[in-house]
Amino acid sequence: MRRTLSYVFMAMAILCFAMPVFAQGQTANAGPNWVAITSGFAMAIASGLCGLGQAKATAAAAEGLARNPAARPGIQLALILGLALIESLALYTLVIIFAKVK
Amino acid sequence: MPEELPFTALLNHIFGGAANALLDALHLAHNPRAPITDFVAMQILVVGFLLVVFLLVRARLSVDNPGGLQHIFEGLQGFVTGQSREIIGHHSEEFTPFLVALGVFILTCNLLGLVPAFESPTAVPSVPLGCAIVAFFYYHAQGIKRQGPLNYAKHFAGPMIWLAPLMIPIEIISHMARVLSLTIRLFANMFAGDMVTLVFFSLVPIGIPVIFLGLHVAVSLLQAYIFVLLTTVYLAGAVAEEH
Repeated sequence: MRRTLSYVFMAMAILCFAMPVFAQGQTANAGPNWVAITSGFAMAIASGLCGLGQAKATAAAAEGLARNPAARPGIQLALILGLALIESLALYTLVIIFAKVK
Repeated sequence: MPEELPFTALLNHIFGGAANALLDALHLAHNPRAPITDFVAMQILVVGFLLVVFLLVRARLSVDNPGGLQHIFEGLQGFVTGQSREIIGHHSEEFTPFLVALGVFILTCNLLGLVPAFESPTAVPSVPLGCAIVAFFYYHAQGIKRQGPLNYAKHFAGPMIWLAPLMIPIEIISHMARVLSLTIRLFANMFAGDMVTLVFFSLVPIGIPVIFLGLHVAVSLLQAYIFVLLTTVYLAGAVAEEH
């Protein structure tokens, strides 16, 4: 109980360190560039999910090729097509960033 | 004098007057001191180069003693014909000239950016858009030619006639999205390659950017292949007959 309370008070004390942030709001006429910050997160999320999708596609292609090496042309075609289509989804995010970030 | 490449400056010097007159007649906005923009000049260079190469191949065709150039182009033609036969089916040989021309044009445009004092025309949004629009009109025209306009329009209505009010808007939007995706895929790959090389150049000027130039070569090849492959897939969808 005492230990929990001491953790709670420590957390509240650390939160008070953030107070200077509010001091900036009234005096500065240009805040942080939210578009740039958000676009960084957006691109990271898009690239991460694209990486996951392409990993699944590549894993399935490798497994299919291991089971049936004679089907290589068809599997290779499906793999390249799938990878390019997934890649293009992440690239749409990049294009929006170039269009919107000054 | 606006910033431009040496080749563009040469073209503007020679053809500036004529280009200005043409653009004024068409009421298009342009910079009077450099009417021919960088990417237009690069495209002219690519087309001229490809004309010379294809005429060379044509002049040196021989059955008994094929040279290296003939081997390369026979391989390319065989590859595209084999792929379109696999995806479209029979009677697909007539599409090979268009697909090879499109693929070779996009590939040369992409690779041109690697040569110093030249830039990739495909790194500008207009050029991939032009290629995508050409591919769009080509596969619709082929579909109408193969199946007749009425039959082709019935395609868009979907499998059953009462689904038509739902299917037709979806089909129209998906066809528009094809143009958009072809354009943005090619443009973003080329543009991002340039950006990434520049970013790493600003960090480590010696050595590291060469890796990204190598990546640009691989991406150029892959993106040209993907563009041709997707055009083949759309052609297959347009000329397919259900039997």
